[in-house]
This record gives sequence, structure tokens and C-alpha cells, in this order.
Amino acid sequence: MENRLEELRDQKGWTQQELADQVAVSRQTIISLESGRYNPSILLAFRLARLFEMPIEDLFLYSEEDLNG
Amino acid sequence: MDSQSKWIATRVRLGWALLAVGVVLAGAGVWLEFQYLYVANNFRILTGLGILLGGIGIGFVVRYRPALKDTLSARRLNAEERDERTVLIRARAGNRAYWVSAALIYVGLMWVSFAWAGLPQLGSDAVWYYLAACVLIPFGVYIASILYDERNL
Repeated sequence: MENRLEELRDQKGWTQQELADQVAVSRQTIISLESGRYNPSILLAFRLARLFEMPIEDLFLYSEEDLNG
Repeated sequence: MDSQSKWIATRVRLGWALLAVGVVLAGAGVWLEFQYLYVANNFRILTGLGILLGGIGIGFVVRYRPALKDTLSARRLNAEERDERTVLIRARAGNRAYWVSAALIYVGLMWVSFAWAGLPQLGSDAVWYYLAACVLIPFGVYIASILYDERNL
């Protein structure tokens, strides 16, 4: 699933480690999320959306292709 | 002391305890080996278990002790351990290792069960090596799976 995590993190001027610290995950998880290799749990998706003060669907871009992938 | 620091302190204590048990077991294994040379049982298994536990203990102490007085490190270590991706990777590795283990034991069981039908009989040495493989191969699969998923997930 595509997401805007890297773009939004850059806007805030945070490093991957700083973002990881704020949502209590490892830096490797942020790297995997940003590269689109890993889809977060609903809880982590909510934590990230709350942190960036936006709805989940503006952060994680769901498409019908993801349903088959 | 916050909950993360308490968690770190518990891990350090566990590390020291494992190290102590490991040293006692390894020492006992070496002592028994020289004391009872005539006993058929090989006490190196005890020594090996002691070395393994001691190694795990040292690993715990080395990993967690520096975070005892550093709250940021404690928080990061805690986050790494409970990280959902890490938990998923370990669960997948455990699942794969379980199926490999079940398959190996099933094959061994079937072999022994049907030895009367013409399959070569397994001697005690062969059974020992097969059982050792039943321990080591799933462990290898577990490690390989973690390495694979760490790179690809």
C-alpha cells in the first residue's frame, strides 16, 4: 500500500528515528513503511494519522489493487 | 523508575541469572566429565547447555545494561522488542520452523514405523543424528526466515 509517510515526515523535519520514537516502533519499521514493503496494523496507522493530524485515508492511499496484492 | 526502566532492569537481572545458571551448569558438566569417566552418558551435553545459557545471559546483559541509566535507550529498546513488525517476523519464522519440525518428525516416525516393510533399520547413532537434525534444522529455518523477512518485509 502506498503512503505519504516520507513526504509528511520530511515536511516536519523529523528523522526516521524521531518518527519511530514518537509512535513507539523501531526505525526499521519506519523504513519498511516508507518503502511500501510493510503495511501497518490499524493501531499503528491510527497513531501515525493522529501524529500527522490527518485522517488515515489521507496518509495511507488505499487502492483496489491492494485488495488483490 | 518508569515502566520501561523497570522492564530493562528485569531483563538485566534475567541476564545475570542466566549467566549464573550457565556457569554452574558448564562447571558441573566439566567436573562430572572428569569425575565419572566410566559413565556412559556424555556430560558434554550439560556443559554445552551451560555455555548456551551463559551466552544468552551475556547477550542480555550486554544489550540491556547500557540502557539502565539512559531513558531514551530504554524507550527505544522497549519499542524495538514490542515493535509490531518484529513480532510479525518472529511469528512467521516460528510458523515456518514449526512446519519443518513437524515434517521432519513425521518422516522419522513413518520411517521407524515402516522399517519392518523393508526400509533400513535406524541404528542408535543414526537416530541420535536424526534427532539432532530435528532440533537444528528448524532452528536454522527460524534464523533464516528472520533474516529473509528482515530484508524483505
